[in-house]
Amino acid sequence: MIWLTWRQFRAQAITAAAALAVFAILLATSGSHLSRLYDSSGLLTCHGDACAGLASTFLQNLSSGGGSFLIPGSAYMILYFLSVLVILIAPAITGCFWGAPLIARELEAGTFRLTWNQSVTRTRWLTVKLVLIGVAAMAVTEAFSLVQAWWAAPIGKAVGLGGGTSIFSEGRFGWFVFPTHGITPLGYAAFGFALGVTAGLLARRPVPAMAITLAIFAAVQFITPLWIRPHLFPTSQTTTMIAAAGANVSLKANPKLTLTAGAVPGHPGAWIISSEGVNAAGQPVSTIPASCEQAVSDALGSHRGTTAGVPGSTALNNCVASHGIRVAESYQPASHYWPLQWSETGMFLALALTLAGYCFWRLNRRRS
Amino acid sequence: MTAVIATEGLGKRYRNRWALAGCTLSIPAGHVVGLVGPNGAGKTTLINLATGMLAPSAGTIEVLGGRPIAGPAQLARVGYLAQDAPLYAGLPVADHLRLGAHLNPGWDAELARGRVERLGLDPRQKAGTLSGGQRAQLALTLATAKRPELLILDEPVASLDPLARREFLQDLMESVAEQQVSVVLSSHLISDLERACDYVIVLVDSRVRLAGPVDDLLATHHLLSGPRRDRASLAGGLEVISASHTDVQTTLLVRSRGQVFDPAWTVSEVGLEDLVLAYMRQAGRPAPRDNHRHLEVRK
Repeated sequence: MIWLTWRQFRAQAITAAAALAVFAILLATSGSHLSRLYDSSGLLTCHGDACAGLASTFLQNLSSGGGSFLIPGSAYMILYFLSVLVILIAPAITGCFWGAPLIARELEAGTFRLTWNQSVTRTRWLTVKLVLIGVAAMAVTEAFSLVQAWWAAPIGKAVGLGGGTSIFSEGRFGWFVFPTHGITPLGYAAFGFALGVTAGLLARRPVPAMAITLAIFAAVQFITPLWIRPHLFPTSQTTTMIAAAGANVSLKANPKLTLTAGAVPGHPGAWIISSEGVNAAGQPVSTIPASCEQAVSDALGSHRGTTAGVPGSTALNNCVASHGIRVAESYQPASHYWPLQWSETGMFLALALTLAGYCFWRLNRRRS
Repeated sequence: MTAVIATEGLGKRYRNRWALAGCTLSIPAGHVVGLVGPNGAGKTTLINLATGMLAPSAGTIEVLGGRPIAGPAQLARVGYLAQDAPLYAGLPVADHLRLGAHLNPGWDAELARGRVERLGLDPRQKAGTLSGGQRAQLALTLATAKRPELLILDEPVASLDPLARREFLQDLMESVAEQQVSVVLSSHLISDLERACDYVIVLVDSRVRLAGPVDDLLATHHLLSGPRRDRASLAGGLEVISASHTDVQTTLLVRSRGQVFDPAWTVSEVGLEDLVLAYMRQAGRPAPRDNHRHLEVRK
């Protein structure tokens, strides 16, 4: 069974290995230059507030090519974006091209009648296929992730020191960063693969199965950071001064009071889930105090014509704060990074196992 | 005699339609059994149930005394050649043999290699580029080299040209003679079965209409022809299977225990095809159109 699995999987395995090699070579050649830039940026020896400025300069240098003749302007930005994208879609690719045809192609071509009538049970057939190819999918995705993590380590450090600009502004909890680093790629890869296999078993044809896999996987990648990830581990709460939280009163929904916090005092690198204005008693405040009207119209006046996207003003922030309004934040501190990684990976591994279990059941119970 | 396939009230339903219903039959071991019947009689459904490709909706089925696909040992005892001989189009002939060797503990590599050599198949040729006859032969090689006790073939020659059909069946017969394997072969081409089978089961509307060794069936069935008259004038002990009349002549297919000696009739031997068709027609449905010969002389 192992021989047959390898024989049928050989071409895909070679393709994946080649893709990984190209990816690694591309990042390795630029990676040494990137780490030299970091070493010479002064970030290794800086202290305190000076670091943020140096980190900003470093990241801006990357955006403009880092002063290298070999690497054109913004090449690092493109590489960073593409490499993250590759890890993000790798589970969908393996799900589509390895998972979906696994059973569907046998059903479509009728070869299941050949294979399932050798002296090997369907359970064994599926077990070997799922384990070998599933582990390969996980390994490839994680390998992409590790290569990228090595390459992007200087960028991550600079972002951590407060130098976030443009595409490099995402911290470890970012939409694109969290599911592509650490151990989450393993969970996504296992899930994507099992999803493809299940879709193939139900659709009975590879192409519709691929479409289904892609659609569901994309939806899951969208839903997870929005509604699931924030609640995988209990959040922490704190209420602080507006200025301390770096919070800003947005005028988008004026006169409704919306506060967007930028930081959690004492918890650098925290992931802010939500923030809102509260009064001294801790009750939510829904509207901007009437006496701040002057500050509101001043802020609006400086952005004549449009209300959308008006960032507010320091005067308005101070006015709101002077009414005793503070900002209540719900957040995941940086220390929750690994618990969240484990929770999310575990969730997707459990989903993958559930789907695999269903495939076993259906393959043995229902019409082939 | 033990049964290679035994069913009891076996049925398979697709939504509201029964593809096979209330089928009770017993196929004896040690024969090359031809399973015939009109399209829609349930032949393929029965075979799919016997090979575990389908699960029954009602009743029971036992193959070689066990549940189909119950485990690796049960799978090893049954060889199956599906309709249209499915093979991996992208894999060469040699890899198909390797597949058989890896997946079957009882694999007879010598037999497989010998057959492929004798058939003149290039081991490096991809299965997708083989002709229909070669595909069927390769699939048969896979099914026989696992050394099964029972070989089930579903319409193995339906898609082959007459020459390939004859070669395939001849080859099958040789394998059967060498291996002492029981065979169940479904087909709607009765002339082919005549060449290959020594036992026939006629399945019409899920029911066994006729079953028995070919020689016995031919010995106990006779074609009577004579001037037109009523059946009433027949001697006792004769069962009329079918009757046809022209203005001046009556032709009867009768079943009797012994020879028919009735001077009023001209008695002649009946061929297997005519015999089978007569039983199929007995079900009150027209015979399949693809049969060229007709038992009855129509008016």
